[in-house]
Amino acid sequence: MNQDSGIPSPILSLRNVGAFYWRRSGYLRKEHFWALKDVSFDLYQGESLGIIGRNGAGKSTLLKLLAGIISPDKGKLINYGFTTTLLSLQLGFLPNLSGRENAILSGMLLGMKRKEIEKRLSYIQEFSELDDFFDQPINTYSSGMRARLGFSVAFQLDPDVLLIDEILGVGDADFRKKSEAVMREKIRSDKTIVLVSHSAATVRQLCNRTVWIENGETKAEGETAEVLRSYEGSLGSQSIKK
Amino acid sequence: MSTRQDHFAESHYGTLNTSKFLSLRIPLQSHHLELILYQAYANLRAEAERTYIGVLWWIFDPIIFMSIFYIVFALLLRQKTDNFVAFLLVGLVIWRWFQNTVTNGSNAILNGQSLMRQVYLPKLIFPLVTILSDLFKFTLVFTLLVIYLWASGHSIGLPYLTLPFLLFVQFLLIMGTTCVTASLVPLLPDLRYLIGHLLQLMFYVSGIFYSGESIPEKYRAYFYLNPAANLIESYRDILLNNRWPDLRAMLIITLLALFLILIGYKLVTTFDHEYPKMVAR
Repeated sequence: MNQDSGIPSPILSLRNVGAFYWRRSGYLRKEHFWALKDVSFDLYQGESLGIIGRNGAGKSTLLKLLAGIISPDKGKLINYGFTTTLLSLQLGFLPNLSGRENAILSGMLLGMKRKEIEKRLSYIQEFSELDDFFDQPINTYSSGMRARLGFSVAFQLDPDVLLIDEILGVGDADFRKKSEAVMREKIRSDKTIVLVSHSAATVRQLCNRTVWIENGETKAEGETAEVLRSYEGSLGSQSIKK
Repeated sequence: MSTRQDHFAESHYGTLNTSKFLSLRIPLQSHHLELILYQAYANLRAEAERTYIGVLWWIFDPIIFMSIFYIVFALLLRQKTDNFVAFLLVGLVIWRWFQNTVTNGSNAILNGQSLMRQVYLPKLIFPLVTILSDLFKFTLVFTLLVIYLWASGHSIGLPYLTLPFLLFVQFLLIMGTTCVTASLVPLLPDLRYLIGHLLQLMFYVSGIFYSGESIPEKYRAYFYLNPAANLIESYRDILLNNRWPDLRAMLIITLLALFLILIGYKLVTTFDHEYPKMVAR
């Protein structure tokens, strides 16, 4: 119905959202620390939304809100009935268990059913290029092998909205290329994606719309090229000030 | 669309309010139950893999613990109770199920904080995983205990019929206590010390190495205010003395356990989205 009217309906809406953490401010005393103060934007079906901002701007907190990990302490976050998951690599890995067991465990923690993940085990084994190591305990793995397994498992996720925090490719040079390629493909597909990055180049390549967060507030929202122009402008003026 | 939307909005984005505290919706779905089972299995396997003899520690550990008490109370202090080894074994096995689960479970949500910052999980999962893996270890030890009792000449009588009920009552009490402590420890990590000391106190006043009858009559009523003391005595009635346990006490403990489960469940679900925000200390 909405498609006919030409105005797409959002699948997530944020209105003046803020969130705080508790911070210790002395003996027996704690205070609020507002990581997000005032963020508003809409997320639409099928788009790749970039979120850009400096370190400590509140990007990761924003992703936690979108993933439903924390709830807003101020403002409104409306989810119109869609599942959202943060892409987490090596989630819940236990060093003494085999690659196979860790794949099942990690997949289930990410919200997949046991049967779903078991169906994809042979694919995970193949994509991660672990061969016989797949049934060895992961404390015998190199960090590159572990990264490969972590990526192969997390990449099986298929929520309505996929939330990505910086990571595109992982592992050694070859696998990085391969994992980055499939990730870029996923981002460019019809899948709804929120990609957080401090790199303007990545966002320019992959996102049609971008939100710029600064000090926990939305500074700009719109076409990627436009938003990035002002973002990079602000970076320039900052470095001149220094 | 509206029902799914409402459900989702409430489960993931509900803010801290009283209506949430009053609602009774169980937040666990079938795949969460699958996860609890698999995580419990994974934790047990990982624990077994960390040592040379692995699984055998789950049996040796209680045996060594019990030997120490045997040496102290039977040999050094010359405790005069008939059949002291069986008497002590029942008390210790039952007590350790309670103590281990509450100790481990108290830290369950606190220890899950790095996980819960990366993915949304109903926080009830964390204590339930601990309760389940400790239940498995207890089942192993309890089976051995019963075999030992049979082998050493204790007969099976009709009171055995109440044994499943008794085990279930204790399970409920453990679940309630663990959920309450697990929900509070992340809010106030200092509680961990207090819980340790309280368990230590409870260990001494629960009649593990002495019987309720050996307590002076004027204090005995206080002794039986302790649910653990009643449970241990009931197990001894069934397993050692072929006597029916005090069912009225069991009923009261059941009510207490259900009350604790309700409180614990309410606390955990109320702070569901607050736990990931609490900075690790």
